[in-house]
Amino acid sequence: MLYVEHIWVHDMDLLLQRVFDAVTNGSTYALIAVAMVLIFKATTLINFAQGEQAMLGAFVVLQLWDWGVPMWGAVAIGMCFSGVLAAFLERALIRKFDPADHLPLVIITLGLFLVINAVAAIIWRFDPKSFPELFPSGNAFAINNIRLSWYTIFAFTSCVIVLFVLQTLLSKTKIGLAFRAVSSNIESSRLSGIKIGTTLQFGWALAAAAGTLGASIYAANPVLQIEPSMMLRALILSVTAAALGGLDSLWGALIGGLTIGFVQSVVVQYIPFIPNEMSLSAAVIVLLIVLIFRPSGVLGTRAVERV
Amino acid sequence: MAAKIHIQEGTATYRKYRIAMWTCFIISLLLVAFAYVDVGTISIGSNKYNLSLIRLDKAIAFTIAILGLQVVVGYTGQIALGQSFFFGTGAYLSAWLVADHSWPFLMTLLVVIPSCFLIGMILGLPALRIRGLYLALLTFGLAAVFPSIVKLDKLYTYTGGAGGKLTSNYKFVAPSWLPFDKVAEGLQKIPFLGGFFGDGPLSDREESRMWKFILFSIIAAICFWLVSNLIQSRPGRAMRAVRDNETSAATSGINLAATKTLSFGVASALGGVGGVIYVAEIGIASPDDFSSLLAIYLIVGLVVGGVGTLSGALIGGLVYALIPDWASSTQSISFLPQRWLQGPTGSLILGLLLIVLTLFLPGGIVAGWRKVKKRFLQIDSATF
Amino acid sequence: MRAPVLRVEGLEATYGPMQVLYGIDFSVYHQEIVVVLGANGAGKTTTLRSISGMIETKGLIEFKQEEIGNLRPSEIVRRGVAHVPQGRGTFPELTVQENLRVGAFIRVDKDVSADIDACYQNYPILYERRTQMAGSLSGGEQQMLAVSRALMSRPQLLLMDEPSLGLAPKIVEDLFERLVAINTEYGTTMLIVEQNAQLALSIANRGYVLESGSISVQGTAENLVKNDAIRRAYLGA
Repeated sequence: MLYVEHIWVHDMDLLLQRVFDAVTNGSTYALIAVAMVLIFKATTLINFAQGEQAMLGAFVVLQLWDWGVPMWGAVAIGMCFSGVLAAFLERALIRKFDPADHLPLVIITLGLFLVINAVAAIIWRFDPKSFPELFPSGNAFAINNIRLSWYTIFAFTSCVIVLFVLQTLLSKTKIGLAFRAVSSNIESSRLSGIKIGTTLQFGWALAAAAGTLGASIYAANPVLQIEPSMMLRALILSVTAAALGGLDSLWGALIGGLTIGFVQSVVVQYIPFIPNEMSLSAAVIVLLIVLIFRPSGVLGTRAVERV
Repeated sequence: MAAKIHIQEGTATYRKYRIAMWTCFIISLLLVAFAYVDVGTISIGSNKYNLSLIRLDKAIAFTIAILGLQVVVGYTGQIALGQSFFFGTGAYLSAWLVADHSWPFLMTLLVVIPSCFLIGMILGLPALRIRGLYLALLTFGLAAVFPSIVKLDKLYTYTGGAGGKLTSNYKFVAPSWLPFDKVAEGLQKIPFLGGFFGDGPLSDREESRMWKFILFSIIAAICFWLVSNLIQSRPGRAMRAVRDNETSAATSGINLAATKTLSFGVASALGGVGGVIYVAEIGIASPDDFSSLLAIYLIVGLVVGGVGTLSGALIGGLVYALIPDWASSTQSISFLPQRWLQGPTGSLILGLLLIVLTLFLPGGIVAGWRKVKKRFLQIDSATF
Repeated sequence: MRAPVLRVEGLEATYGPMQVLYGIDFSVYHQEIVVVLGANGAGKTTTLRSISGMIETKGLIEFKQEEIGNLRPSEIVRRGVAHVPQGRGTFPELTVQENLRVGAFIRVDKDVSADIDACYQNYPILYERRTQMAGSLSGGEQQMLAVSRALMSRPQLLLMDEPSLGLAPKIVEDLFERLVAINTEYGTTMLIVEQNAQLALSIANRGYVLESGSISVQGTAENLVKNDAIRRAYLGA
């Protein structure tokens, strides 16, 4: 009897630990997902290069840090760099296409995916590098086998802060209002004197900056390193997170991110007949189920085009 | 500029023109095959570019997979990015049958084609409800998970895990009645150009390569013929109607579900055939060859050739098989720092091609070629 | 006579391969209400979209003696032209208050809040619903919001596209009364495209009739109401 109880306690420890892992991963997926949500909200476009843009930004951060820029200063400059680059890309590559014609836009973002990935690999090579620790190392507390690292706490907190900042930006500032107006009705926005192009550029810049912060936090995970293809997996997981949240809801992205983190570290690890390597597949299955049965997501508002 | 030639479609002249074009194409294919049957290289400056039959066989494999994408993306208008999934499925299925059950490679097509067709139809079912970007997302996810599926421990005995499945013990043996040696000898006697075709008769290895190349070309030709017939048939017209306007297609009595499912099935089967040829050429099916990157590269092939053009698939296959390889074998270009040549330069070029063509030449190389051709030769459509 | 607020000469517009307007000429004078009548597809909406810069056009469009034909919509709004598009043109995912703020997007002065209050005084129902999403309003309320939103930019010229479409007769009457009030109160010049010719002519000073992309009849509202052809075609008499 005692033995059984012991096992149960042990399992609870493990479960809690897994939940913490879920929060860690989920927060970083959420940050990339938020970037996708921002662009989807405004243009109903899914930017397949979002993860790569974020990765590039994180490499810029790393490079600046190598050159001696203080850590958070490097992050701030990296975010600005990504933002400016994204604004340029929107102007140069995206704007001329009809937003309703998806194929060319998907192709352009896939092309960006390849180009950014290759450029990063040419400049920084494929070998993994360690990223500066953005947060205090060690554990906030450790009882028995449960360890809650500072990283987890800070990653989650940053994610929530970013969402608050974005929400405030979108609801309280003039450009934020314009952005939401454009998301809601492009024609009337133009008739109200809003410059659509500039507003969308702002959205792209904001998304890229958020993504870069996300990738920096992701790479700052003590157990991970930064390398050009680090976002390949994260892209799928983040997209799934965004889709769970309905692709157009900021907080939905957080909930989606945490859910995917949970599926990845708890469901897949805990259910014996699902092999561990299935975490990515599990995410895709979640994506499939969401898109088929609840395409507007858990928190989404926009009606999804369907047959 | 040369005077423009007009040819009326459906006339005897038109038929002669078509036959002449095809004959030229086949003859040049054979010439290339004999010239590069061994490790053939083209030299530009100090750089050597490989154009061996191995490359061309790979190009054929990609061409067939891209042909599949033409059906589903180009003609039916469904943004399906996951062709690498079916390419990989075909490759692994074939490798398993060849390695563990000693099937000859071509026989595996009999299993691969129906299986991929079925899997494609089943995986295409969500597409009946999911459209546009959502479908792109989902199929991209499908492509991303393929490597992790074949690496599953439970499938190790079938897939060989992370190490891949070797099939190199299977050899293609050219039948003895094929007059390879005589052709080679004849070509070598051509004045001035004979040197391009090597010396003496072909070795067994070269004969086997030549035989593979011819077999694969025939398979590709059959695929092209079938797809071009499909496109012009009733279901093919239905596909194009769905692409152009789904709602009006549905209201004019086209069965959307059947049309889409069929196009997914056909595309996947072609992806599978491509996979079989790929693994027959490479001799191993390894998981990371079939990643989401392959999915994107196949899209590059689709776009570079031209979305919605059959011949575009061939150009796309060649571009994908040759450009990354040639980029990495470029040792020096005067205006580029060395560093830029040692990384994934091929991937960079393919990405840039994708963007530049989409921006400036949406119809791909085929559309560009047609524009140029139109200046010299006008094919007037038949008026009955 | 004074120079017109809006002068259009030889306006041509095409949608893809199809020409919609074949060189139309008309003018709108200060504080006038001018109505454009015409059947579906005659080019009424296209005329308004041409003026607000939403489509490319050939010909002359002059607003306050300045050419605006080649300007972008955002610039034309800044010059003082507001456009209420067909089907309301509100922002369904934004609250009523936010809709009004978007209407004042081009303004940098400090009176925006005061104008919003003034608008609430005219339409108390909008005040009640100020924190609701515009998408949840009724058709009539949305049209009130759309007009109010357009007025937030303090326009000198208000373009309205089928304001009565899909509204109950009583609501339409209220709306037109309100338009007249705005016209006298703020001196806003109005160009209204309308199917409901009876009602439109009752508040208008002058009118034009568009037929297949050309102006076929024009005149004062009184004359148009008496015109036999118009009575048959648009007034159901």
